[in-house]
Amino acid sequence: MEDFIDLILDPLQELFLKFKVFMPNLLAMLVILIIGILLAFIIKRTLVKFLAAINFDSWSDRMGFTKLMRKGDLWSKPTAILSTIIFWLLIIVTLMGGLNALQISAIDQLASQFFSYIPRLFSAAMILVVGYLLSGFISRAVLIAAANSGFHYAKLLAQAVHTLLIVLILAMIMEQLQIAPSIVLAAFSIIFGGIVIALAIAFGVGGIGAAKRIIERELVEDRPGKAPDDIEHI
Amino acid sequence: MRAAIFRAEVHEQLERIGQADIIVGIPSFNNARTIGHVVRAVQGGLAKYFPEHKAVIVNSDGGSSDGTMDVVHNSSIDDFSAILLHHRVSPISKIAFPYSGIPGKGSAFRTIFEIAGALDAKACAVVDSDLRSITPEWIELLVTPILKGGYDYVSPLYHRHKFDGTITNSIVYPLTRALYGRRVRQPIGGDFGFSGSLAQYYLTKDVWETDVARFGIDIWMTTTAIANGFKVTQSFLGAKIHDAKDPGADLSSMLYQVVSATFELMETYSEVWMPIRGTEPVPAFGFEYTVGLEHVNVNTARMLNTFREGLRNLGEIWLDILGAGDFGEVERLGALPDSEFHFPIGLWTQVVYDYALAFHKRKLPVEHLIKSMTPLYVGKTASFIIEAKDMAQTEADAEIEKLCLEFEKRKDYLVTNWK
Repeated sequence: MEDFIDLILDPLQELFLKFKVFMPNLLAMLVILIIGILLAFIIKRTLVKFLAAINFDSWSDRMGFTKLMRKGDLWSKPTAILSTIIFWLLIIVTLMGGLNALQISAIDQLASQFFSYIPRLFSAAMILVVGYLLSGFISRAVLIAAANSGFHYAKLLAQAVHTLLIVLILAMIMEQLQIAPSIVLAAFSIIFGGIVIALAIAFGVGGIGAAKRIIERELVEDRPGKAPDDIEHI
Repeated sequence: MRAAIFRAEVHEQLERIGQADIIVGIPSFNNARTIGHVVRAVQGGLAKYFPEHKAVIVNSDGGSSDGTMDVVHNSSIDDFSAILLHHRVSPISKIAFPYSGIPGKGSAFRTIFEIAGALDAKACAVVDSDLRSITPEWIELLVTPILKGGYDYVSPLYHRHKFDGTITNSIVYPLTRALYGRRVRQPIGGDFGFSGSLAQYYLTKDVWETDVARFGIDIWMTTTAIANGFKVTQSFLGAKIHDAKDPGADLSSMLYQVVSATFELMETYSEVWMPIRGTEPVPAFGFEYTVGLEHVNVNTARMLNTFREGLRNLGEIWLDILGAGDFGEVERLGALPDSEFHFPIGLWTQVVYDYALAFHKRKLPVEHLIKSMTPLYVGKTASFIIEAKDMAQTEADAEIEKLCLEFEKRKDYLVTNWK
C-alpha cells in the first residue's frame, strides 16, 4: 500500500519541486512583462508628443510618406502610426525578454534567434525608408528634367524609373531579411533583365515608327533655315 | 568668419602697393578672348577720370586654363592720347591671381572685397570679364557716385533688347522692387560700384560657404545693400553686349540659381520687406541715349510647346504649389492656340508669389521646386514676346512697369500667407 502511495506522491513531489524552481522564473517573466508594457506605453506617449513637436506629420506629407500610407489604406496620422509601430516592437521585445526569463531551452533558442534577427529587421527598415525617399527624389528629378526639355513622355519615363528603383529596393530588403534569398535574386534578375529586354525590343522593333518621327522632328528643328533662340534670359 | 588666404606673392604685391583709393575687380574664368578689352577699358577709365587717385585692377580668376591671367598682365593702353589723355598718368597696379575657396563668382568677389579692405579702398567697382561694350566711361559712372556723391552702391542701367533679360524683367526686378520698395532696374546686372565700407560690411556676412559663393552674388549684393539701408543709386552705362553665351547653359539651371538666391534672401530679410508697401524711385546718373540693338531670334512655337509639355507632365506639382484656382487658370492657358496665347500678369504674379511661399514652406527640395517653374516661366516669356512683337522699346518697358505694379498690388497676399 505504501508503495502505491509513494507511486502517487513521488510525481506530485517532483512536480512541486519543479514548480518551486520555476516559480521565481515565472515571477521574473511577469515583472518583465508588466514593466515592459508600462515602459512601452510611456515611450509611445512621449514619442507622440516629440513627433508632434517636430512637425513629423507635415514632414511626412512633404516626403510623400502620408501619400504612400493612404495608398496602403492607412488613414491614421503618420505620428500615430509610427508611435504604434514602435509600441508594438517594444511589446514584442518585452515578450521575448519575458519568455527568456522562463529559462526553457526551446524558448531560449527562439528568443536568441529573434534578437539576432533584429539588426537585419532594422537595416531592412532603413533601406525601405531611405530607398523610398531616394526613389521619389530621383524620379521627380527625371520628371522635371525631361519635362523642361519638352519631352512628351516625361511622366512615363519618371514612372518607369520609380518602378525600377522600387523593384531594386524590395529585392534588397528581401535579401536583407533572408527571405528565400536565392529565389529573390533569381526573380530580381529575371524581372530586371526582362524589363531591359522588353524595352530594347519595344524601342528596337515596336518603336521604329516613333523613333523615325522623333528624329525627323529633331532634324526639322535643327534645319539651318529655322532660326535658333537668341534670348538672353539674364 | 575665416578671412581669405592670399598667396605669398599677392601679399607682397599688397604690401608694395600699401594703400589704394579705387579698386576695380574683374572676376574671370577662361575669358582670355575678351578680358584684354575689359582691362584696357578699365585702365583708360581710371587714367582719364581718376588720374590723381591711386587705383588697382584686381583680376580674381577661377583657375582658367586659357591664359586669362597672362592676358591681364600683358594688356595695357600703349597710347593714352588715343583716349584724349595728354597729361602724365601714374602707372595703375594690376594684381591677377587665382582665388581660393568654393569655385564661383561669389568667391572671386569675396577676394576682391578682402583686397579692398587690405588696401583701405574708398571706392570699388566690379565688371564682368566677357564684356564687349564696356568703355572707360563705365568706370567713371560706377565710381564717381561713390567718391563724390556719397553713395554706397551703384547698380547698372543698360539698354537691352526688349526680349533680353527676361528673368530680370519678369521675376527678379518686379519681385525685388515690390519687396524692398526701391526701383533698382538691374538688380543682377553684374557690373556694380560700391564703397569700401560696404565691401567691409559684405565681409561681415557669413555666406561664403553657401550658394552665394557659387552664384547669386549679384542679387545678394544688391539686396544686402538695400535691406541694410545703404545709399543706393544707378548709373546708365549704355548697351550691354557680352561674349556669346555658353550654348550648353541650361535655362532651368540659370533660373534655379537666380530665383533660389532671391527666395533665400526673402527668408533672411523677411522682417525688412514685410512692412514695406509701395515703391520709390532710385536716383540715376549718366546721360541716357538710345542705342541700336542686334536683332534677337525667338521661336515662340517651341517655347509654347515647352509650356504645354510642362503642364501635361508637371501638373500635379503645379497643383500642389499653386492651388486649384490658379492651376485651373494655367490649365486654361494650355488649351489656347498659339496666336491667342496670353499669360495674364495677375496670374504670373500669383505664380511667383506661390513659388516663394512654397520655398518658404519647403514643400519640395529647392532645386526641384524652382526647376519645376521653368515651363511656366517659358510660357510667360513666350506670351510677352507675342504681345511685344510690334511694340517699341518704350511700350515694352511700359508692359514691364504694369507687371511691377501688379506685384506691388498683390503683396498683401504674400505677406498674409508667409507667416
